[in-house]
Amino acid sequence: MIQIRFHEELYDALSIDEAVKTYEPYAKLTAHREAGGTIVHVEALEGGADEPLIAAELGNFALGRAVERSRAQTPTAKEGT
Amino acid sequence: MSDSSPNDGALDRAERDPGSVATTALGDGAVQIDFDEAYYPKDAIYGAAYVFIDRCYVHLDRAGDRRVRVTLRSKTGAPLDTQALAGELQNELLCQAWRLSIAAENRQLIESIAARALGGAAGPPGLDELLAMDIDEASAFEDPLGIAMSWEEKYKKKGGATDDAAPEKSPADEPASDAEKGS
Repeated sequence: MIQIRFHEELYDALSIDEAVKTYEPYAKLTAHREAGGTIVHVEALEGGADEPLIAAELGNFALGRAVERSRAQTPTAKEGT
Repeated sequence: MSDSSPNDGALDRAERDPGSVATTALGDGAVQIDFDEAYYPKDAIYGAAYVFIDRCYVHLDRAGDRRVRVTLRSKTGAPLDTQALAGELQNELLCQAWRLSIAAENRQLIESIAARALGGAAGPPGLDELLAMDIDEASAFEDPLGIAMSWEEKYKKKGGATDDAAPEKSPADEPASDAEKGS
């Protein structure tokens, strides 16, 4: 089992939830909030994809959503890209 | 652990300066770069990290108070040129920070141009809007400037006594009076 830690100041909870829902069909995912962030446990399904691969993809997805959300909230940031 | 080469002066300086950037190559071909939020705003770090999402697995974390740690790991599994990647990330970070600064400086101008463009795009009112207007019989024929009035109506003398008293001449009468003069 792999665990990924998402810092609360860098990843918003909605983005993590969305990532977990997206990758739920590919692995057993459990997320729980802790002080300072969210921990997601990734456990591969029988005959499914590798844990590190799913964990890494889930992390990228969560980051992408967090960045997009951040841009949507700050109009000046949107102009820069 | 640090793996900066002697040739890489910028990274060397960054590593020695705890206030700016610190690069660490990890054993599994990944690289960690720490940035100080005092120099690079979070939005710029987000923007730079986003650029690498298609090439690398990117993870952000806190590396201390006001320091953000970006971890880049190859998607293909091939060993990364960690120094090159770290350099690219720093370049992208500078670019993003600069763009943010320009956008903030020109924010008012951008907003006013966008507002004008949207106003112009709205165009004249359409048929539905005209139909939806509240025009009744009284308001439809209001003419405060007197545009619809004839010249005579508009400049008629207030009293109107002389005009009313004078006998109206019909055009048919004129030739008759001339004929009388001639005879």
